[in-house]
Amino acid sequence: MATSDSSSSPSSSGTEFADPNPSTDPETNSERVQSQLESMNLSQPSEVSDGSHTEYSGGDDDDDVASANGNEGGVSNGGLVREGVAGTSGEEEMEVSLRVENPVEMEAGEEPPSPTSSGYDGERGSSGGATSTYKADDVSEDEIREANVDGDTASQHEAAWLPGKRHVDEDDASMSWRKRKKHFFILSNSGKPIYSRYGDEHKLAGFSATLQAIISFVENGGDRVNLVKAGKHQVVFLVKGPIYLVCISCTDETYEYLRGQLDLLYGQMILILTKSIDRCFEKNAKFDMTPLLGGTDAVFSSLVHSFSWNPATFLHAYTCLPLPYALRQATGTILQDVCASGVLFSLLMCRHKVVSLTGAQKASLHPDDLLLLSNFVMSSESFRTSESFSPICLPRYNAQAFLHAYVHFFDDDTYVILLTTRSDAFHHLKDCRVRLEDVLLKSNILSVVQRSIAEGGMRVEDVPIDRRRRSSTTNQGQDTAVPDVSVGTGGPFGLWHFMYRSIYLDQYISSEFSPPVTSHRQQKSLYRAYQKLYASMHVKGLGPHKTQYRRDENYTLLCWVTPDFELYAAFDPLADKAMAIKICNQVCQRVKDVENEVFLQGASPFSW
Amino acid sequence: MPSRRRTLLKVIILGDSGVGKTSLMNQYVNKKFSNQYKATIGADFLTKEVQFEDRLFTLQIWDTAGQERFQSLGVAFYRGADCCVLVYDVNSMKSFENLNNWREEFLIQASPSDPENFPFVLIGNKVDVDGGNSRVVSEKKAKAWCASKGNIPYFETSAKEGTNVEEAFQCIAKNALKSGEEEELYLPDTIDVGTSNQQRSTGCEC
Repeated sequence: MATSDSSSSPSSSGTEFADPNPSTDPETNSERVQSQLESMNLSQPSEVSDGSHTEYSGGDDDDDVASANGNEGGVSNGGLVREGVAGTSGEEEMEVSLRVENPVEMEAGEEPPSPTSSGYDGERGSSGGATSTYKADDVSEDEIREANVDGDTASQHEAAWLPGKRHVDEDDASMSWRKRKKHFFILSNSGKPIYSRYGDEHKLAGFSATLQAIISFVENGGDRVNLVKAGKHQVVFLVKGPIYLVCISCTDETYEYLRGQLDLLYGQMILILTKSIDRCFEKNAKFDMTPLLGGTDAVFSSLVHSFSWNPATFLHAYTCLPLPYALRQATGTILQDVCASGVLFSLLMCRHKVVSLTGAQKASLHPDDLLLLSNFVMSSESFRTSESFSPICLPRYNAQAFLHAYVHFFDDDTYVILLTTRSDAFHHLKDCRVRLEDVLLKSNILSVVQRSIAEGGMRVEDVPIDRRRRSSTTNQGQDTAVPDVSVGTGGPFGLWHFMYRSIYLDQYISSEFSPPVTSHRQQKSLYRAYQKLYASMHVKGLGPHKTQYRRDENYTLLCWVTPDFELYAAFDPLADKAMAIKICNQVCQRVKDVENEVFLQGASPFSW
Repeated sequence: MPSRRRTLLKVIILGDSGVGKTSLMNQYVNKKFSNQYKATIGADFLTKEVQFEDRLFTLQIWDTAGQERFQSLGVAFYRGADCCVLVYDVNSMKSFENLNNWREEFLIQASPSDPENFPFVLIGNKVDVDGGNSRVVSEKKAKAWCASKGNIPYFETSAKEGTNVEEAFQCIAKNALKSGEEEELYLPDTIDVGTSNQQRSTGCEC
């Protein structure tokens, strides 16, 4: 049973994470919370019957501060929260009412047969402990569970994931196609298919037409369809002018995140083509976009894949490769010189992590643009083989027009991207790259980068154990099942993983995965839990949520939001709450201690 | 998105209810015919791959409902059509007389860029019924109508027996293909050096 509560609590200090409410009666509150969750579309009915550990934390017990500034958003209890969710204003209201009151029925017979076992076994991260309880379909995420049992690839997921489109031979008549857990479609407003995650676009022309008919039918009534629920499936729609995007999913992800994924998918398309495609449709509704996107299957499938492993897709922040402060500064200085010579953005990247980046004066790069850009570069094989000069559009910077990107890989992982407005700048950028490479080699930065990517980032094991506090716990006679040792089971006191997002820097740092969260499936499951947490903390109109403590059979999750940062931490489901809170404080302290190494500091080009 | 260029053509089938639109499509795509009448609700969609002069393309066939109560769907359905197929029953004068309405309705709703030359194809269906004895619309009359509308190609078919169906759709594909050849100019801008008209926020609202 999953219970949680979001409470509005003071954030004035932002330096100490206190137990939100140790004295609230858990019985009544968990009921209240459950109904609140239902109204938020967050509850998981399949798990309700399991009456295992329930913990609850409500409002803050520090009355002085709470009365001072705790309730700006008017959210002080579950009742009000529920009202807020049910919608009192704006777009949120429309979305909710569409969900609740106007469920548009799917065409009869269109609903794919549900996979056999109930529930979503990806959510059962830790209960069994043994990885053998997972069916090993790690080869491709979100696929039918029964198929593709490829046991030997289960652990090394990154190596096993193959870019490009799979199952091209399928169409909507194929049973296997219908059973896929997550579909993405892009189509034009005349119903012509543009992209489908699975299957051949042309064979899916009929299905594509059906989607357009549904969207257009609702549009004709002066309305807009956002979400259709059909059993376990959610059908999420996003209309971007003449482009329709649809996700059909039974992955139990939140509506908000699925919609965010469609937004990113659209952004990726704009990055390749710019919004001038809208004009093509204005002039000619028959316009067939598929040829323009020729050869970009790998870019889209790689982005879809990243929805399940890259927190940047829902945190809307980027992450840096951990580096000694001086080295990152030195790199930044060289990149700054490059920008001074008329380059708009200069980025040195290692995989999807930033080594350093600079922008020309007043130019700011949105984290989503950075995500889409690095995905495009990383997933296009041809960038690796030679230095390239390619038109690229940054949708958040200027969706209407192309920039030109010079891309060069120094090694398998490390690459430079130089973005300019000038289409004749290739030779200049090449010279810049040569100079940059020179400095990088002389100062040994490239090999430090290689070492850093091999070593990985922060580890939960590195979070210092406060011996004094630990012994006090033991004195209180904790359950022996509580793993309060750091060896072999993640960090201290059952800390399994954390993510820390700095609001001002638009950056996040996430710990490396440690046992027991080792398999890709477990990692994906944890990310999905984080996504739900993130969504529940960012619901519009809910006021300033500050802390959330949530426990189910898989994890104990703690979230702490302040004006400066957001912390998401996952613990063993049996972890002690008081200790978990203390550990969270230590994590924040730890991040602050090393912030010069894990974040790109200084004059951020990201300040809007 | 395969590298080899394929074309997708959107074909709309229009006509009074019961003239055999769905049967024609079923005969063409599935080579099947049923005597039972089942009214189409809203629209039905089928696809068929066709080879034409060494090129492979896909017909996305929109089989619409003939009943008037579905006509509100018009704009949404007709948008971006490459070819419009008008169907009437040679044994029903009313279905023939309504062809003008169907054609005009389509041109209004779809508002193609060049209405004069938009490719239509006319099909007179059910020529097999009663050995042709109950026929009320003569071939001559139908051809005259076609000529008056800018030489619309005309086919007489029997969806039941499969007569002429393949030929009609070959012609539909050919005409649809022709209409799509000229345009499709994709000319994106690049950002000017001097005027950095940077957009702070685009449509994305996440």
